[in-house]
Amino acid sequence: MTTTLKRMSALVLASTMTLALASGNALANGAIGDHVNNLQAHISEYTEEVHWLEEKFGSVVNAYEAKDKSLSTDVMIEYWEEVDFHSAIETQYVPIYASIWQGIYGVKTAIDNGKPVSDVRDEQRKLNHALWQALGAVKLASQYQKKGMLAKVQTTEVEPTTGPAVIDDIKTRLDRVVAKYAEQLHEVATTLVHDTYLQRFEGVEGDLIAKDAQLVEDLEKDFNVTLPQAIEKDAGVDSVRNVVEAMQAKLDKARTLLVEAEKGRKDVF
Amino acid sequence: MQRRLFLQGLAAAGALGSLPFGFAHALTQAASVSVESLPKLEGDLTLYLGRGEGGLYENVLDAIKKRNPKLNLQIRRGGSAALANTIVAETKAGVKRADLFWAVDTGSIGMVTDSGAAKPLPVELTAQLKPGFQYERWSPVTGRVRTLPYNTERVNPAQIPDNVMALADSDLKIGWAPAYSSFQSFVTAMRILEGEKATRSWLKGINRNAKKYAGELGVVMGVERGEVDIGFANHYYTLRLKSGKPDANVALAYTNNDAGCLVNASGIVALSEGDLPVNFIRYLLTHEVQSYLAREAYEIPLVNDVAQPQGLADLSTLSPPKLDLRKLADLRPTLNLMRDVGVL
Repeated sequence: MTTTLKRMSALVLASTMTLALASGNALANGAIGDHVNNLQAHISEYTEEVHWLEEKFGSVVNAYEAKDKSLSTDVMIEYWEEVDFHSAIETQYVPIYASIWQGIYGVKTAIDNGKPVSDVRDEQRKLNHALWQALGAVKLASQYQKKGMLAKVQTTEVEPTTGPAVIDDIKTRLDRVVAKYAEQLHEVATTLVHDTYLQRFEGVEGDLIAKDAQLVEDLEKDFNVTLPQAIEKDAGVDSVRNVVEAMQAKLDKARTLLVEAEKGRKDVF
Repeated sequence: MQRRLFLQGLAAAGALGSLPFGFAHALTQAASVSVESLPKLEGDLTLYLGRGEGGLYENVLDAIKKRNPKLNLQIRRGGSAALANTIVAETKAGVKRADLFWAVDTGSIGMVTDSGAAKPLPVELTAQLKPGFQYERWSPVTGRVRTLPYNTERVNPAQIPDNVMALADSDLKIGWAPAYSSFQSFVTAMRILEGEKATRSWLKGINRNAKKYAGELGVVMGVERGEVDIGFANHYYTLRLKSGKPDANVALAYTNNDAGCLVNASGIVALSEGDLPVNFIRYLLTHEVQSYLAREAYEIPLVNDVAQPQGLADLSTLSPPKLDLRKLADLRPTLNLMRDVGVL
């Protein structure tokens, strides 16, 4: 297994395990079917859908190249929202889900802005790459699911109850912020940042202050200033993702501190 | 700094109306009890739990469950206000799903008590609570107070006015976090107590000499680093910082009978009749649980004979303002005012 695959393997497992604890109402644009809890049985269907998407997105670019006056790029979003593969990757690995939206809008915006065909083809290649990478992630998740290593995807909200679980949930929510931003839902992304801070981070920051006050202050600034500003300024998916990844690295440190804090705590009774 | 004595025993009974909800239940006083003296909990209970101090409330619940293996405790978690809305809706529909509601703020408690869903609590239970925190249909669990953290190297306590409104005219360099929810609740309290005109003037005055921070921990750390002389923050940020860094250059000051020393509380409501919900509440008021939350979460214990978090002034020496805390939910006029003044 290559390093990249190993990393994806770990991330898929971690992402899915925490997703099961995450808010269900933030998921997907449509209903999540039962297929997401039986991935293995639907891999061939997902594979067909990826081929179909590649062909459909390609036909949009071809129409642009052919200077088809009737072309509407909105159809790309309709294609993506039509397939079951959409919720399969959304429930298994949000970072690549975000990359797909980034790719769709990369092609769409390039066409809408009348960019040269070569530029549009570059964006199309990135989109196709994200789609196949996503299929790989879903296949990997299906293996874990078959072995019973993945929790069932929850469609109702389940709250994390320990400090480390809260941190895991925050990281997953931040991945969703990138996805919602990539989906061009900036208000939704900003609201998710705000809710994550109020509903999750505020609950654990108290324990962290005594351990590393500077870390907490940095994260407070990230939640309240840096990330909302990156979204508001429309700095691009890569910029927003960079802010989120920097926050997630700080959150890893916070998680370690919370585990230590819990070990040293006296019993209630 | 002058500090008015607050509610010293029965002599202060006239001030009881200044506290949340304004209806003192019992004027008798009883000592806190040990968990060893409580009855075992047996049976089914459903608790609606508002988000609070991360895993610490969960630790308390786990400890209660461990001590009472025949208790089947089901917990629904969510935001306090959202759960309060759910309880009100369930009550109107004649559907009762929760036996208890533990909320982090008094406004959410008020929504439930106003709906008529709350059951009365025995006087001998509420008598364990400190004067001013005894109510017929809900029990405060722990408290938090607004404070003025100041830099001990740059400021002499005598320089600090004991009136929060006077800070707008001082030469002190001030740290604040206008976008922070606790600060906005504080401004809401000021708007209710002092009026919109005075609050507008205060915001403008402070803004002339203030440095903004993203959150109130940032304010406390800015004070400690000497970027500003003094700030506005809930008490626990400073206490937690001091616990990790005992020599930090920051201490707490308190104003007198105004929004600057507002006390808010978490609280619990019994929604079902019978001994089991009431006895569950007794566990939260035990010496052990109150000490745990004071020690680990730096929350203010509200039963008698339990030590305050280290570094906090005794509650009896504080003078919180006369205010129905449920009114703090009226945030929109505050945000409009803050935007109009240009601090948001």
